[in-house]
Amino acid sequence: MSGPDLSVKIGAMAMNNPVMVASGIFGYGDEFRGLADYGELGALVLKTITREPRLGNPPACRTAETPAGIVNAIGLENVGLDAFLAEKLPAAMEYETNIVASIAGETPEEFADCARALDQTEVAAIELNISCPNVKKGGMAFGVDPEASAEVVAAVRAAAAKPIVAKLTPNVTDISSVAVACETAGADGVSLTNTFSAMVVDVERRCPLLAAGMGGLSGPAIRPAAVYRVYQVAQAVAIPVVGMGGIWNANDALEFILAGASAVAVGTVLYADPAAGNRVLAGIREYLDRHGLAKVSELVGSVSIPHTSG
Amino acid sequence: MPGSQGRKPGGGTDARRASAEVLGSERLPGDHQRLLLKAPQVARQAAPGQFVHIWCHPPDEIGRPPGSALLRRPYSISRLRPPDGVEILLRVRGIGGRILSQIPKGRLLDVIGPLGNGFRIRQSMRTAVIVAGGIGLAPVPFMIQALSSRLARVVLLAGAASDGKLPYRVEREPDKPASLPVLASLGAEVEFVSETVEGTLVSDLLEQRLDALDPDSDEVMAIGPRAMLKRLAAITEGRFSLQVSLEERMACGLGACRSCVVPAANGAGYKTVCRDGPVFYAHEVDWERLQP
Repeated sequence: MSGPDLSVKIGAMAMNNPVMVASGIFGYGDEFRGLADYGELGALVLKTITREPRLGNPPACRTAETPAGIVNAIGLENVGLDAFLAEKLPAAMEYETNIVASIAGETPEEFADCARALDQTEVAAIELNISCPNVKKGGMAFGVDPEASAEVVAAVRAAAAKPIVAKLTPNVTDISSVAVACETAGADGVSLTNTFSAMVVDVERRCPLLAAGMGGLSGPAIRPAAVYRVYQVAQAVAIPVVGMGGIWNANDALEFILAGASAVAVGTVLYADPAAGNRVLAGIREYLDRHGLAKVSELVGSVSIPHTSG
Repeated sequence: MPGSQGRKPGGGTDARRASAEVLGSERLPGDHQRLLLKAPQVARQAAPGQFVHIWCHPPDEIGRPPGSALLRRPYSISRLRPPDGVEILLRVRGIGGRILSQIPKGRLLDVIGPLGNGFRIRQSMRTAVIVAGGIGLAPVPFMIQALSSRLARVVLLAGAASDGKLPYRVEREPDKPASLPVLASLGAEVEFVSETVEGTLVSDLLEQRLDALDPDSDEVMAIGPRAMLKRLAAITEGRFSLQVSLEERMACGLGACRSCVVPAANGAGYKTVCRDGPVFYAHEVDWERLQP
């Protein structure tokens, strides 16, 4: 098919186009099967797995709807590495596009163990969910500390040859320093943002609505905040940036691309429109045609910031 | 864009997503609204107890992020209106219900369904006893429709806090149990109790009748508040097969997001209400750990 060149590379992972499905939304891939042509998208990132199975947070209210967003506190419920490899991954691999595994752990070694096993599979890349607590450092998330983030990336780099993408949390003072640390430690790309920490209060019961107390905000509510962080990070690193956070349509995706994202991911929107990724892709193609652009890469980071006086 | 019947947005092949025309919309007592949708894909495949997941805004606006009611809303299928009509019963409470209640006849809705697992009808079943409380009555017309055509006898034991909370008219005659004529006309023997008039809980009605039921051929199917379901699980435990329909906040409706999980019996982790349920056998659920 002729038309603009939409291809993107993240390390050795070659994508036909820059539209991905974000981790956590899409389950292990099979749940949404048939509701859209997911094989048309650039890559599908599966739900985060850990070395051992996890039950996640208590099953009373794990997700709450808020203005233009949702707050979730699932707690990384997952089947664990072995069941993922045996049952979930083979089904996901039936999609004819890049499948990216997302991993988390409480220690760099746990990340490395998962990565080592995934390196023997057909996954196109490994995303590191570094927003989870670092048990050795008192439960602070790896992703809030550049050094701890780099430690995870380095451990995975040593264990696996596949492309590595570090998924950054926005709940930090200086996200660029975390991105740079991940790049220096060997990451092939960074993706951002993960959810913004948030709380919903049930005023009648005078307690948090979510059983876990706090959770993570996603959806259109966070989009401008996420776009700005992508802009900041893209200024600071040379590796590709995957932008995400509340993308609902092609216009939203283009905001991220112009701000510096080489690729984008749709998440929360899939709960409303399971075909949103396809809709975003069609819109990006249409935009490139309309502006007479041959390559999507021409747009990446091309937002111009006017100098203001004052 | 899901603009026309049968055309799938985004190249999907799944017949479960379609645009459904609103054929009728009617306000009922108790802040209820009945919506009649033209949804052949649902009407053809649905089992009682399954649900549809509805986007509250116009389908052609799916590309615009809404400020509220971002998630789809799950509604159990209330009744089939052949050949391709599907009725849902919503409460005009909360943002989603309010938006949907105002959608005029002739407009389209983006509907995914039928989703989830409905009530099972065993080969050997002769009598089904439906126990329903409050908003749990929503899927009962469809249950009666499906069960009365296959079983010898369908009994409905219905309860509510008060008559006014119900979407149906209550009929009270001297020396007879109260009834809900609309539901009786679909083929069920109906007994209704309200806590304010009769002062009885619907679970008590079942308890009084249990000895007259045959565990081999009779089955209890329940839907309503968790407290009611818990009591029924206790009453029937070890004596009768009980199917319960559970409700929980959902996000994806497909089993992917793990928002709507409930504790499974025997420590077998969590089950999703949207995909593993919403109908479970009572013995699959850990009632001790289930949140009230």
